[in-house]
Amino acid sequence: MEKAKISAYQLFTLLLLFELGSALVYTLANGAKQDAWMAVLMAMVGGFCLFFIHYRLYCYYPNLPPMEYMQMLLGPVLGKIIAFLFILYFMYVAATILRGFGEMLVISAYPATPIFFINALFILVIIYTVYKGIEVLSRTSEVLFFVVSLLAVSIFLLIILSGNINMDNLKPVFEEGVSPIIKTVFTDTLYFPFGQMIIFTMILPYVNERKKVKRTGLLAIGMSGFVLALITAMNISVLGIDRTTRSPFPFLTTIQMIELAGFLERLDVYFILLVTLTAFVKLSVFFYVTVLSVSHLFHVKHPSHLAYPLGMVVLFLSMAVASNWTEYNQEWFKVEYVYIDPLFQVILPIFLLIVAFFKNRKKAV
Amino acid sequence: MLSFFKRKKNRVNQQQPKEYVFASQSSVLMDHSLSKNLEDIKRITGNSPDIVIRKVKIGHHATHEAAVLFVKGLVDSQTVNDLLIESIMKNSHLHKKLHLQDIVDVITNEVIPLGQVQSMRNQEEVVNSLMAGNTIILIEGINEALTAGTQGGEKRSIQEPTTHVSITGSKEGFTESNETNIAMVRRLIKSPDLWMESMTIGKRTKTDVSIMYLKGIAKDDIVHEVRTRLKKINVDGILDSGYIEQLIEDETITIFPTTEHTERPDMIAGNLLEGRIAIFVNGTPFVIIVPAIFVGFFQTVEDYSIRFDIANAFRFLRVIAFLISLIGPALYVAATTFHQEMIPSTLVFIVAAQRESVPFPAVVEALIMEITFEILREAGVRMPKAIGSTVSIVGALVIGQAAVQAGIVSPAMVIIVSITAIASFATPAYSMAISARLIRFVFIICAATFGFYGLLLALLMMIVHLCSLRSFGVPYMTPFAPFFPSHFKETFFRRPLWAMKERPQLIAGENVIRQGENQKPEPPAAREMIMKDKEKGDEHES
Repeated sequence: MEKAKISAYQLFTLLLLFELGSALVYTLANGAKQDAWMAVLMAMVGGFCLFFIHYRLYCYYPNLPPMEYMQMLLGPVLGKIIAFLFILYFMYVAATILRGFGEMLVISAYPATPIFFINALFILVIIYTVYKGIEVLSRTSEVLFFVVSLLAVSIFLLIILSGNINMDNLKPVFEEGVSPIIKTVFTDTLYFPFGQMIIFTMILPYVNERKKVKRTGLLAIGMSGFVLALITAMNISVLGIDRTTRSPFPFLTTIQMIELAGFLERLDVYFILLVTLTAFVKLSVFFYVTVLSVSHLFHVKHPSHLAYPLGMVVLFLSMAVASNWTEYNQEWFKVEYVYIDPLFQVILPIFLLIVAFFKNRKKAV
Repeated sequence: MLSFFKRKKNRVNQQQPKEYVFASQSSVLMDHSLSKNLEDIKRITGNSPDIVIRKVKIGHHATHEAAVLFVKGLVDSQTVNDLLIESIMKNSHLHKKLHLQDIVDVITNEVIPLGQVQSMRNQEEVVNSLMAGNTIILIEGINEALTAGTQGGEKRSIQEPTTHVSITGSKEGFTESNETNIAMVRRLIKSPDLWMESMTIGKRTKTDVSIMYLKGIAKDDIVHEVRTRLKKINVDGILDSGYIEQLIEDETITIFPTTEHTERPDMIAGNLLEGRIAIFVNGTPFVIIVPAIFVGFFQTVEDYSIRFDIANAFRFLRVIAFLISLIGPALYVAATTFHQEMIPSTLVFIVAAQRESVPFPAVVEALIMEITFEILREAGVRMPKAIGSTVSIVGALVIGQAAVQAGIVSPAMVIIVSITAIASFATPAYSMAISARLIRFVFIICAATFGFYGLLLALLMMIVHLCSLRSFGVPYMTPFAPFFPSHFKETFFRRPLWAMKERPQLIAGENVIRQGENQKPEPPAAREMIMKDKEKGDEHES
C-alpha cells in the first residue's frame, strides 16, 4: 500500500469523472431506442446494487485491497490466479479505453494523424500522473471537476438556448413496453459505465473518512447516472432516434448542431475538451489500479516504478486490441458485454462476497 | 519522472567528504600578551588596511597598554570616537588604582556607555565579532577581549517599494538592513506574540537570517520545518533571499515558485496574520513568505483595502491575464494551423489574407516574435536608463511596424504577442510571471505539433504537476485541491471584510477564528436620529 490518504470529496470527484469518462462519447443504451435515458437511470439503480456488493466487501476488509483479501478468502493459489485474471482484465479495459479515445479523436478531429501518436502522448501524461501517486491524481480530479462542471453547465445552456431541442423525439414512451429497456440494461448499460466501478475497490482503502464512503459513492453514481441520462435524452431530442443510433459520437453531433448569435458555432472543441478531461481521469484511475494490483500481487515495493513498463504494455495493447473501429465496436458488443464484463463485474464480486460472508460468520461464532 | 536521476545524484553526493570547503572551527584562545593578540589578528585578517588598530594607554597614570580595534566603514565612527575611545581614555573610574583583573569589570560596568558589551576568549569569535562591525578592546595582560556593539555605517533609507507598487497602500518598502525591516513589521503588529528567531547562515558570508511568526496562529509544525530547513543549509555564501528560497523549497524540479517574497511590510504583516512565516535575510529588501500557495501569487495587498466586489473582479481579471499570457500564442498557432473551422469565417479570411504573403508557418512566426520580445525585455531590464528610450523606439518601430511592412510577420501575430506581453505584466508576483513566460514556449511547440489536443495535454500535465507540488507540506493547489469551501471563499475569492471569520485552514493551526461575530457594519437607526434632531430643532425654534 502506498502511504496516502484521500478525502471523501476527492473520492466523489474521482468516481463522478470516472463514470462520465468515455461514457460521454458513445451512444448509451441503443437497444432501448427513445427510452434510452430510462435505461440509463435503471442501470444506475443496478449500479447502486453493484456498489453495495463492493461496499460490503470493503466493510469486511476496510484496510486491505482486493488483491490481498482475495488470497485470504480463496487460499493463496486460487486467490492469486483470480487476482492475476483481474489484473489482465484491468489492463485490457485500460487499453480499450485508450484505443476508443484515440479512435474518437482520429475520427472527429485528426483524420491525418496516426492513432499511435495520439495514444502515445495521452499515455505519457497518464504515466506521469500515475507515477506521482493517488494523492496527486485525486487532487487533479478535484481541479478538473471544477473545469468539467463549468464546461458541462455552459454546454447545456448553449444546447437549450440554441433551440434545437425537440421533445417530440422522446415520444412515444414505452413504445415496445418495458422489456427492451430491461434487456438493454442487463446486456449493455449496466456494465458500461456503471459496472466499471469495480476498479474503485482498490481505491476505497485509501479513503480517510470511512463513514462517508457509502454516501459519497451513492451520490457520485447517482449524479453521474443523472448527467448521463440527461445527455442521452438531449442527444435523442436534438438528433432524433434515427441519427442518434447511427452516429458514432452522438454528443459531438449534438454540439455541432449549436448555432447561436451568429458566431457561437462549430464548438467541437468543447466536446474534445470534455471528453479528454474525463477520459484522462478514467484512464488514470484504471491505469493506477492496474499498476497498484501488479505491485500487490508480485510484491513490488514501489508501485510507481511500474508505471513506465506497464504504460508501454497498455499502449501497445491498445494498438493490438482491434485492427479497426468496426472491429473494436464488435468486440465490445459480442465479447466484452456478453462474457468478460458480467464475469468480472458481477459474478466474481458476488462470489467473493458469499465466501467472505461465510468465513466471517464462522469467525464470529 | 525525473527522480530516477535524482536518486543517483544524491548517492554521488553522499560519497563526497562533508564540509571539505569550509575552514574548521578553531579553538585557539586569546593570549595574555597584547602584542601577540594583535599580531594574531593581523595575521588572520591578512593585515587588511581597513582594520584600524588604535593603541591607547589607560588606567592609573596611563600605565596599562590597550588597543581598540574596528573595521572602517562597518562601525558608526561617531560612536566609536565619542563614546568608546574617549570614555576609555578620560573616564574617572579608570584613573583610580585598580587591579588588572578588575579593569575589565570596570570598563564593562562603569565606563562604556553602550548597549551591548561582552567579553570573549575564543580567538575566532573575537575576529568574527570584529568583522560583524563590533569594536574590540584588548588590554595588556588580560586574556579576554571586550567587544562593544558599534555596528553602523552607511545604509539606504526607507523608500517606496519599486516591485510591488500600490495605489492606496503604504509607501514604505523594506531596506537592506534586517533590523530596520523587522522594526517596520513590529510597528505594524504590536503584539508580544510576534516571535522572532535569528541565526547566521553561510560559512563565509555569515548572513543574519531571522524568522518571524505569530505564536499561536502559525502552525508549530511548519515553524519547526522552516527552522530545520534553514539550519540544514551549509553553504559558502548567502547574498540574497533568493539563495535561501532555492535551498529550502520542497520540490526543486519545478518551474513554479513555491515560496513568495515581497518588498512591502504591510504584505508581510497581512501574511503573518494569516499564519504564514516570514524569513528576513540581511542584505536584501526582499522578505520571504512561506508556505506559498498558487492562488496567493495573484493577490495583492490592496485587495484587502478596497471593496470586496471590486477586489474580486480584479483578482479574476489577473487569473484570466495569467491564462492569456500562458496560452495566448499557443491558441493562435493551434487555431490557424489545425482548427481553422473554429474561427468565424470573416475572421478566417482576414487572417488568411494577412498570412498569404508571410513566408513562415504560424509556429515559426510565433517563436520569432516571442523570442524577439523576450530579448527586448531582457535588454530593457539591464540597460542603463539613459539609453532605455532607444530600446523602446527600436522595439516598437523596427520590430513591430517594419517587420509587418516587410512581410516577415503578420499583423495578427503582432497583436497576439503584444496582448500576451501585456497580460504577463498583470501578474503581481514577478516570480510567477516569469514561469508563465517560459512555459509559453512549451505550449507553442505542443500546439504546433498536435493542435488543441497537444495544448490540452500540456495543460493537463501542468495541472498534474501543480497538484503534485507542496510548499512546506501545504498542497500548492489549495483551496482547489484539496478543496476547502471556507478556505476557498477566503483565498480565491475574497469575502467582505466583516465576513472573513476564519483563517486559511491548512496554513494556520487550530486557531482558525480571525475575528468576532457581528462585524457587519450596521447604520444606526437613521430614522430615529433624524426624528430626534427634528425634535431638538423644534425645541430651539420654540
